[in-house]
Amino acid sequence: MTDSPSPERSIEQQIQTVFPSLIPDYPSGTALARYRTDTHQLPELVRFLHEKMRGRLALLFAVDCRPLEKKCELQYLFAFKSRQPFVLVTTELIGEERLFTSITPSIHAAQWYEREIRDLFGLIPQGHPDLRRLVRHEHWPKGTHPLQKDFSWNHVLERQQGEYRFSHIEGEGVFEVPVGPIHAGIIEPGHFRFSVAGEPIMQLEVRHFWKHRGVEKLFEQLPLIDAVLLAERVSGDTTIGHSLAYCQAVETLLHLNVPRRAKYLRSLFLELERLYNHLGDIGAMCNDTAYALAHAHCGRMKEQVMQLNDRLVGSRFLRGVMQVGGVSWDVDRSQLRNIVQELNGIQKDFSEVGAIIFVNASLTDRLETTGVLTERIAWDHAVTGVVGRASGMDQDVRRDRPFAAYDELPVNVALYRYGDARARLRVRGDEIHESIRLIREIQARIPDGPIAVKPDRSATPGAWAIAAVEGWRGEILYFVMAGTDGRIRRCKVRDPSFANWPAIQWAVLGNIIPDFPLINKSFNLSYAGNDL
Amino acid sequence: MFRIIKKSLKTGVVTGQYPESERPSEPINPAVTKRAKPFRRSLAIREVDTGSCNACEMEMNALLNPVYDAERFGIHIVASPRHADALVVTGPVTVNMERAMKDVHKQTPDPKIVIALGDCAINCGIFKGSYAVTGPVERHIPVDVRIPGCPPRPAEILEALSELRKERP
Ligand code: SF4
Repeated sequence: MTDSPSPERSIEQQIQTVFPSLIPDYPSGTALARYRTDTHQLPELVRFLHEKMRGRLALLFAVDCRPLEKKCELQYLFAFKSRQPFVLVTTELIGEERLFTSITPSIHAAQWYEREIRDLFGLIPQGHPDLRRLVRHEHWPKGTHPLQKDFSWNHVLERQQGEYRFSHIEGEGVFEVPVGPIHAGIIEPGHFRFSVAGEPIMQLEVRHFWKHRGVEKLFEQLPLIDAVLLAERVSGDTTIGHSLAYCQAVETLLHLNVPRRAKYLRSLFLELERLYNHLGDIGAMCNDTAYALAHAHCGRMKEQVMQLNDRLVGSRFLRGVMQVGGVSWDVDRSQLRNIVQELNGIQKDFSEVGAIIFVNASLTDRLETTGVLTERIAWDHAVTGVVGRASGMDQDVRRDRPFAAYDELPVNVALYRYGDARARLRVRGDEIHESIRLIREIQARIPDGPIAVKPDRSATPGAWAIAAVEGWRGEILYFVMAGTDGRIRRCKVRDPSFANWPAIQWAVLGNIIPDFPLINKSFNLSYAGNDL
Repeated sequence: MFRIIKKSLKTGVVTGQYPESERPSEPINPAVTKRAKPFRRSLAIREVDTGSCNACEMEMNALLNPVYDAERFGIHIVASPRHADALVVTGPVTVNMERAMKDVHKQTPDPKIVIALGDCAINCGIFKGSYAVTGPVERHIPVDVRIPGCPPRPAEILEALSELRKERP
């Protein structure tokens, strides 16, 4: 689906032909072309990028430029197929201007981003079909927009009366089933509102942001170097993914050259994280079909990897290993050998378990054709990661925009087209084998040398960088802008969950409610990373 | 069928194969142990996440895997607060979750125990002071047991829970 009309010409050339007045600039460090445009031309330009050039809207966010300049910037980041640079489109709202044109009517993927901007910055997307609150629940007082610069980070919010209006379907025999925010299992809080007629789901509305902790505002209170700690805690199960993406953005700002050995170790940790999460997910999916045996085996293997992490760096979640400039833990030769040995064991173990679970007819029956996310809808919502790859979206940052040591470690990307729960299970299964293979490669190729460099200068205030990392869920994006005194002026975090949550509303249609936990688990999105 | 049995036999029993907790758990107030007396042999837990980073949840989940197998101590997770003897709360209490958490506390029948799991639940951790966080769990409901750590290891959680189950003269 990501074919561009004339692949031999670069994206910049094609933009040049249609919009001759636009001249790109190339900020140093990040592989992207940036176009500045005014609010009138913007909708046309983004529509061209999305529809004609098949660009995926990867990120949309705002920056409040006060106190330097009295304006707000809106940034639209597009990703194209393999190895092409990002295109960033910037437009600004000067002074008190608060209205901007919504692009949601033509690019569906923008809908949550624009609602988020409205809540956090008080800018209003004109023409957006749904202007209900997203992040700020109804009890937040009017006019509170936490990411505006004059809103203090430790402001104490009052409560007001208010009620969220769910969209209703009316008709004979249609009834609504509210679920959450507190669920039956040990999972995070979120609210799901189903409209059903008989058994099949006619509509699902996801209402999230119960866990909004103000992460992006907290980033703005921290020095660039220390904020790794916070990045690790954006979504606990993606400790490495988030901290790595954050570090990469800051390293670009500080012009740091990370030593090769550190890059290999970063890949090692990232793959370990992928491993334990995928193992757990496969087990949990089986558990939701009441297949306890597979759950027990997978839970055991997941635990084995987490204990391995603990022995390696003293944290089951690999906390505290990432630092700006490299990593803070070295893994020596004998440890590497042990890791590979243990993982070889796990691979064999997993293959044996896989041979049992993948041929289980009742499991297959539950998974096949359950929760189908078509390629079309996946594309419309700019879905990323495991969920995307199960629906035929051939994208993986490790291959498309190599970071860490992936320029020397080619990754075989797992790709399935059916888009059902089984495809998502298969993607994870394949990625487990691939991760173990990559770790073997890392052991064979890792060079000697230092594991970190010290930052030797501070970032220019106002400089910014974007970094992308393929975490185990999918593409993690960080935009970091430096402020004065080595602090952060703005940090935009995009966990893959934020892009994927709206898509689940489509994947469940026509399925029955008892299958929802299974479908939800097969997506396994983070609530913490989404709510920020 | 044969393959399944073979795999199970080959794997053997893995329960208990974890390093012992190194950190001694915090002493528990005798009044709390007294209140927990009816739950010594069976403790039904409802987990409530009020804004954690989800690592604490994952460690709670790990308690149920075959390695820790908390069920062997009579500890189980129930689906509703109305079935629970104890609430385990993780995360700082966010502005959006405050109401829901108080509701859950109200819905849990007495006598009940509230366990704050993880640094965030105890003192908001890294999220302290944020506009979107209303304070630690303690600010809203009485907390009986604290299990510190970011996140605490499952072995530490088990240790603290077994402290609660100990017979005392
Ligand atoms: S205590 Fe640590 S692990 Fe637990 S929720 Fe807070 S930040 Fe996450």
